[in-house]
Amino acid sequence: MSLATLTKPWAATSYGFLDASAKRELRRKMLKAVAVPGCQMPYASREVPMARGWGTGGLQVTLTLANPGSVIKVIDQGADDGVNAASIRRFVSSVSGAAQTWDTLDASIIQSRHRIPEEILRENQVLVLQVPDPEPLRDVESNISIARQMHADADYGKLWLTLYEQIVRKGRIMQGASYPALVNGRHVITPSPIPRWDVPKLHMSKHLTILSAGREKRIFAVPPFTRVEPLVFSDRPYLVEDHAGLTCQRSGLSGFFMNELPMDGGGSRFEVSDSNLGIKAIRRTEGEPDGIGDTWYRNGEYSA
Amino acid sequence: MAYVATRGGEKAIEQAERLFRQDLGTIDPDRVETIRRTMPYLIDRVMGEASLYSEELAALALAQTGGELSEAVLVLRAWRTTQPRIAIARPVQQSELLTQRRISAAFKDIPGGQILGPTLDYAHRVLATDVLEGRPYTPPMVDMADRPAPQRQPVLADWQRQQGLVKPAVPSEIAPEDIPDLTREPLLLPASRAHRLQSLARAETGGVLALGYSAMRGYGNAHPTVNELRLAEAEVVVRHPRGAQFSAGRVRVSQAEVTSKEKGGYLELGYAATFGWNEVKVIAAATLDLNSAEAPVGSAVHEEFYLYHTESVEASGFCIHFKLPHYVTFQSVLDAMRGAKARQASARAAEENQEESVP
Repeated sequence: MSLATLTKPWAATSYGFLDASAKRELRRKMLKAVAVPGCQMPYASREVPMARGWGTGGLQVTLTLANPGSVIKVIDQGADDGVNAASIRRFVSSVSGAAQTWDTLDASIIQSRHRIPEEILRENQVLVLQVPDPEPLRDVESNISIARQMHADADYGKLWLTLYEQIVRKGRIMQGASYPALVNGRHVITPSPIPRWDVPKLHMSKHLTILSAGREKRIFAVPPFTRVEPLVFSDRPYLVEDHAGLTCQRSGLSGFFMNELPMDGGGSRFEVSDSNLGIKAIRRTEGEPDGIGDTWYRNGEYSA
Repeated sequence: MAYVATRGGEKAIEQAERLFRQDLGTIDPDRVETIRRTMPYLIDRVMGEASLYSEELAALALAQTGGELSEAVLVLRAWRTTQPRIAIARPVQQSELLTQRRISAAFKDIPGGQILGPTLDYAHRVLATDVLEGRPYTPPMVDMADRPAPQRQPVLADWQRQQGLVKPAVPSEIAPEDIPDLTREPLLLPASRAHRLQSLARAETGGVLALGYSAMRGYGNAHPTVNELRLAEAEVVVRHPRGAQFSAGRVRVSQAEVTSKEKGGYLELGYAATFGWNEVKVIAAATLDLNSAEAPVGSAVHEEFYLYHTESVEASGFCIHFKLPHYVTFQSVLDAMRGAKARQASARAAEENQEESVP
């Protein structure tokens, strides 16, 4: 045996960009996060060649999970061709050799900002959500040391109070995206700024969801078949966005989360937010096989 | 693929980047070397914030980002983090520093003397417009002192400790590889001393100045007196695998020690150090360190506040991320707002109906 047989040729960067020590730490923290669902695990969160706040947390997870057999889908606001999504997908593919896809059903790893795809994810898929602020208590407690203690004590009273106050003042809960949810009956998480429409998709799902905040250096997870319950009062049902009756002007799809586009002279038109679902529907109208998988919502009702 | 035709997509981002780089033109070793040679304090600032001591790489980062400082620091940090940690240098002792400037505001004269070194402190800040009219500015040469200042200077705090003015130093017994390293582990709070000082060392200069200044101006509890300020060069002493210790080179460092008032019978000291010569940063950072102990939670001088908010890469990245589309979250907010309005309108209508039906 010689030294040469034990070494690899020099390369400017490691496989998958992150070096082995960074990946090892991430693997360990992901396992911890899976072991304690919803509990925020601090991690070093190395710098990556992308600005903080642009998906660096999700990127580190994806780079750690990716291998040459992976198929990567990256979406921003539901769209595969969003400029930042395209940039991340190209980077992951170029440093890991993973294949790229727009099709939710073909992907082994889906990295997303602000959306969960409309097609049901399977056991062998991992959803990586980019998280700007991992702390659901931030609005009621900006000091993270105190917030950490509150999580340890499962002291979520201030959060409940905020929701209650909204009902008193406005007649309904005003929380938009990032709706707080109780995971496995123990830890409250922010599901990242996904719309309320998407939160039920995390509940008892077949797939693993890893949520990673690069700037804030926290990682947490919703393992498969884990309860995820939005914080609601028993006499006030959870309200998803009122999109069930909207129709996509391009694809004709209805009953899914939509983007609203203001029109000249007033009024709005709508486009389905899950852009690849829209593409599949357009193909269907052109007579091609559509390949649309089962969806979490049917006829605008959550039914998975 | 009609669905995506209206979006800019990948071609647009590629062209946008090209436009930025085309404006900067060709970057060659000459340009990098010119930046390195002519902008030493800018290089120092960037090396400090990147926590990577390489004048050449800092100059390259400045060249390829056109001097966009937060971008320059980001590319250096992103490069740095991929590099292995091959050795841990021996801790630098103040008294071993090759000191070029060392002053104290606490005493008129100090053991070893006040060494002014290179500074603009007493210069009149007049713009040399003559240069633009074809009369180059060539600085007059420095007159050699009769007696050169000694390379190494004693430590004022040591004298203060002898006098019982400053608490005796208790060095922590810790194996070099166990020293916490902020670049390889997250900042947890309350921060270890190592993490706090490392975080300040790589903090963004402007951010540290803003928060340090707020403490100085009156939002802190301690008004700093500069006990000792040093600009120096430090030997980076590492151990060869065969056991010998040797200097792998020198790095420019700044450090500041500020003091204020008595606490428990001793003068309190605040401390900061960073790569490169950057006096404003270390004085402001040492002031934050000094104010930490009694800082109210949530105030700008509380460590959680200033350590988080002076992190250059995190702060600048988050700030510019607001340019990214947020239309899903916005749609979610609109939905809640419209829902509440509709509810109010129907409640009002119900009320009016009731009034009308009253005879």
